[in-house]
Amino acid sequence: MLLISCPYCGARAETEFSYGGEAGIERPKDPHALSDAEWADYLFMRKNPRGLHTELWIHAQGCRRWFKVERDTVSYKITSSRELSLGASEKE
Amino acid sequence: MTEVKRIDLGHINLRGDAGDDRFADGVEAALGLTLPVDPNTLSESDHRMYWLGPDEWQVVADRKNVPVLLKKLEDALVDQHVSINDLSGGQVTLHLAGADVPELLAKACTLDLHPSVFGVGDCAQSGLAKANVLIGYIDVAPVYEIIVRRSFSEYLLRWLRQNSHFQVGTASS
Amino acid sequence: MQRNRLENGGRIDRSQVLHFRFNGKKLEGYRGDSLASALLANGVTVVGRSFKLHRPRGIVGSGAEEPNAIMQIGKGATTQPNLRATQVEVYDGMIARSTKGWPSVNYDISAINNVFSRALGAGFYYKTFMRPQALWRLYEKIIRKSAGFGKAPKVADPDSYEHRNAHCDVLIAGAGPAGIMAALAAGLSGARVIIADEQCEFGGSLLASTAMFDDLPATDWLDDTLAALAEMGNITMLPRSTVFGYYDHNFVTIAERCTDHRNEAERHGVRQRLWRVRAKQVVLAQGAFERPLVFCNNDRPGVMQASAVSTYLHRYAVRPGDRAVVFTNNDSAYQTAIDLLRAGATVAIVDSRPGGAGAISQSATAAGIPVLAGHIVVDVNGGKRITGVRVGKWLGEAPQVVASSMLIDCDLLAMSGGWSPAVHLHSQAGGKNVWDDELYCFVPGESTQANQSVGSGNGKWLLSDCLQEGLAAGNNAASRCGFKPCDVAVPETGSNIEASIEPLWRVPSEEDPDHCPKQFIDFQNDVCVSDVRLAVREGYRNVEHVKRYTALGFGTDQGKLGNINGMAVVAECLGKSIPDVGTTTFRPAYTPVTFGVLAGDSVGELFEPVRTTAIHEWHEAAAAPFEVVGQWHRPWYFPKKGEDLQVAVERECLATRNSLGIMDASTLGKIDVRGPDAVEFLERVYTHNIGKMKVGRCAYGILLGEDGMLMDDGVMARLGEQHFYLTTTTGGAASVLSWLESWLQTEWPELDVYLTSLTDHFSTIAVVGPNSRRLLQKIGCDIDLDKENFPFMSVKGAELGGTQVQLFRVSFSGELAFEVNIDSNNALQMWNMLIDAGQEFDITPYGTETMHVLRAEKGFVIVGQDTDGSVTPGDVGMNWLLSKDKDFLGKRSLSRPDSIRHDRKQLVGLLSVDEKTVLPEGVQIVVDPDLPQPVPMCGYISSSYFSACLGHPIALALVENGRARKGEILYAVLTDGSVVEVRIVSSIFYDAKGERQND
Repeated sequence: MLLISCPYCGARAETEFSYGGEAGIERPKDPHALSDAEWADYLFMRKNPRGLHTELWIHAQGCRRWFKVERDTVSYKITSSRELSLGASEKE
Repeated sequence: MTEVKRIDLGHINLRGDAGDDRFADGVEAALGLTLPVDPNTLSESDHRMYWLGPDEWQVVADRKNVPVLLKKLEDALVDQHVSINDLSGGQVTLHLAGADVPELLAKACTLDLHPSVFGVGDCAQSGLAKANVLIGYIDVAPVYEIIVRRSFSEYLLRWLRQNSHFQVGTASS
Repeated sequence: MQRNRLENGGRIDRSQVLHFRFNGKKLEGYRGDSLASALLANGVTVVGRSFKLHRPRGIVGSGAEEPNAIMQIGKGATTQPNLRATQVEVYDGMIARSTKGWPSVNYDISAINNVFSRALGAGFYYKTFMRPQALWRLYEKIIRKSAGFGKAPKVADPDSYEHRNAHCDVLIAGAGPAGIMAALAAGLSGARVIIADEQCEFGGSLLASTAMFDDLPATDWLDDTLAALAEMGNITMLPRSTVFGYYDHNFVTIAERCTDHRNEAERHGVRQRLWRVRAKQVVLAQGAFERPLVFCNNDRPGVMQASAVSTYLHRYAVRPGDRAVVFTNNDSAYQTAIDLLRAGATVAIVDSRPGGAGAISQSATAAGIPVLAGHIVVDVNGGKRITGVRVGKWLGEAPQVVASSMLIDCDLLAMSGGWSPAVHLHSQAGGKNVWDDELYCFVPGESTQANQSVGSGNGKWLLSDCLQEGLAAGNNAASRCGFKPCDVAVPETGSNIEASIEPLWRVPSEEDPDHCPKQFIDFQNDVCVSDVRLAVREGYRNVEHVKRYTALGFGTDQGKLGNINGMAVVAECLGKSIPDVGTTTFRPAYTPVTFGVLAGDSVGELFEPVRTTAIHEWHEAAAAPFEVVGQWHRPWYFPKKGEDLQVAVERECLATRNSLGIMDASTLGKIDVRGPDAVEFLERVYTHNIGKMKVGRCAYGILLGEDGMLMDDGVMARLGEQHFYLTTTTGGAASVLSWLESWLQTEWPELDVYLTSLTDHFSTIAVVGPNSRRLLQKIGCDIDLDKENFPFMSVKGAELGGTQVQLFRVSFSGELAFEVNIDSNNALQMWNMLIDAGQEFDITPYGTETMHVLRAEKGFVIVGQDTDGSVTPGDVGMNWLLSKDKDFLGKRSLSRPDSIRHDRKQLVGLLSVDEKTVLPEGVQIVVDPDLPQPVPMCGYISSSYFSACLGHPIALALVENGRARKGEILYAVLTDGSVVEVRIVSSIFYDAKGERQND
């Protein structure tokens, strides 16, 4: 069971959190300007890397804030845990 | 021996911008207590105010004072982007007293409640058994305040009953 | 008669005689005995039959590694299967049975397998019983029965179990010399320490040791140190507690057996406890396992680990044999020989190393023990008990065949093939193991989590090294947690056992390895050298595959004894080194744990939370059966005396349509939305036009996922310019709030909106039917309820019966209806007031079933029943809700090719042509049931009821291109194969114009 550091509440057990998938998926500004393939890419395609992964978690049983975690998908080591606003510029 | 009491209290949920002095001042003026901005802490005067998140708090007060407090908050925070909601119907407050409380809670709560880590004036939202709870360490006696959603309260009381030898009582504050 | 019990010594209490039964036979032991030591004391040699070959088996070890003495303890509801006799404490009245060896360990009908054992090589079961597949069930039954694994109790477990979450600075797994030193150091530094050990007493190897610490028995030091630890307030000491799992981020699980060691009558309180520990630092001090030697017939009763023999002698005062041979490839077993001699046995040493042992050799010789260096045991005589060993000369090379040159009579063979550190937890934590070329074993490699391995678990065989390493690790762990390390005196041990070993993985025999008598590697699974060789010949190269093909390392012991020897044999066959072959993966649990302790108190009433509304007690008093919706318990229907579901629901439906019904709708999700950007936010997530909504008005709203599929629905009310109130489905309350929050926080942080759940604060009472307005007027309402001033889809704050409420004019039944939202503290009182005042209208409380019928008559969908995550708004006829003037979540997906297919399934009404059959929900619809199978299916029934108002059954179904097929006759295929003719009709069965709800 992971120990996840909520940027607001501190380190808590994984059971207090819910997973939100890959971070940095930006909703297209004008979805209707997109081709079906481009829209499908936004909807369904994820990186699913082996190694470092930036992902969203919500502290569901705590402050209900979403935040961004950098986690190694092999070792499960968490290398950073930040408020969304702090990492906004890194959106890919 | 753990003593469990169900306390009839009122609850107000408050959302606002902690970084805005007008907000903190307004809260202080309305409630007569300092807005707790440190995570996982509560502040106390005639009522208690829990930090729930960076922009969310919960006021726990005498039920009969809730309408007045709501009014005071609304007046003090008028023109600000805030959200003030009476949650008195939706919350059940339990007071657990006794030296064994941290041990009892540890059966079904993953928080570290060791007094060296979780002291008087500390609070946290977490899970207790399969219910979400807000736990506050409110009196060195020790007394812990546990706030749970009304719909989960019978379940939680059943869990407490099965896991501790306690007497359930009710009391009004 | 405990014929093998020594008169003196041991950590047993001879004044406390314990009576127990083993396979029906009455035996006696002493307080402090393990079941294994008590059996050995009584001269019991055969404790079970082997899994596949049904060979008689005796006790081999003294701890977790024991492969043979697997027991069923107790009987009835509290029995536990598959316990190792070596780890079970005897109590008075214990009933123990071998789990292996049905019907009798001494006479076994399946022993015929042994005669044909050539045919039972690796993969035998796979090869033989795979075909025909239909017979597998029969095969399995026979195999399982004759293999005789333990039996789970057939009745509910009456015992209680609990979980305990714990946090500490330093967790120490294993309370042997290294672990205790670590605990002492960390404890003195002030750190919060938990130390757990699977045995009933702390001390590990010291409990069976003759070592002297500072010229006093090591057990004196042990007693003093444990007393000191117990004095410290910051140390939690957990005996009988197995650290069995090491997970991510230093999360460690411990199974504590609280009362298993007591007679059932004396068991009070929690039987077992699961500790879920989050440790900042972990010290792994689990010790090491002595490896068996792999020679012919090495599984015969009487062949034991040398260290186990020493343990029985010293800890339990049991001498497992009178005439012993010690067979070793290293120095440690010499101590066992000396111990045996001191205990009055005759003993000889067979040492495979041509040069013999180091310094301890002199001690043995001086004591008069004959030592045959450069010799090996090639075979064993005897069946149910060894009678002698055949010994041959060996020069240290690896010839395939060695002739025996002498026969030594004996009834005990103590073997030592060297030691393997228990690297299990280190490995579970993610750490690799590295091969040590001098120690000939895997030792823990670099840690991937915050842990350190110490003592013999780290390849340190000398007591002095174990103590030093434990001290260092304890201090190290404490200082990593911010505590100051302390100076602790390490006792002087004066041990003279050296750590020299010469590998001997497979002992040559008198015939070649594929034809000689069986050389067992894994006793529990009957895996022999020849099986592993066969597997390799058949093409298995990867050790994980060899494991699965041969079953090497399966079972309750998970290869604790056999794995390394097995890998060595694989390596030999492949011409590789052992580290090149690699180890199999270590997974939790280290030793088996009970389902009971894993479940903890999550059983019975606490298995799942029960959520109840503020009016629940009234429903209970009315004897309503409850339907579980999510975690809510909702009244299903309110039977009057003698009524069943159907009769009650018909009455409830008619009463509501004709006069007045009342329902507790409190479980609906309720969300308060406030802020200057509330309109903008809701525009983006809901499909209809929010901005056009007037304050005081309600609208039906739907939420789509970004994939365009219906996710949830509910009523939206505009309470102010910047203030909205949403309802969600009962099951969707939490997920909708979380969905809305996720968009606000991650995608649109610029929007100033706050969301607050009011689900529990407000109770919702639906007052439904033509007389609903009259009822509200009767109890006193301060707002004008007529059609003009409070039309359908309106909301107003009101004083109702003297209490402040939020009054909605909405309807989920198609009737004139009101929903009273009220502070839950006042809900029951309001409900009672409405019930009392409603008597003149024959007010009828109804539950979820009637609600379903009423809404189905109107063709209202229930998200999650009539939709399943693959249904678009268009599929259920809700395109009228989709704004053309704006984007909203999921809108783009509605023009994807799949969303505009013409053959999509669409919501339609269905009528049974016979006007009698109530179709089961979920059944498939076909065009022609007589087509060859598989018959193409064109839809399914999502909702189906008998409508009392209409006098016939109705159903809702999703049918391919259904709306264009109105009037068509299709067929519903029931699960019993029968076919019902159905006609497609409109999904609105009742009051299609909606006049009643607008009244």
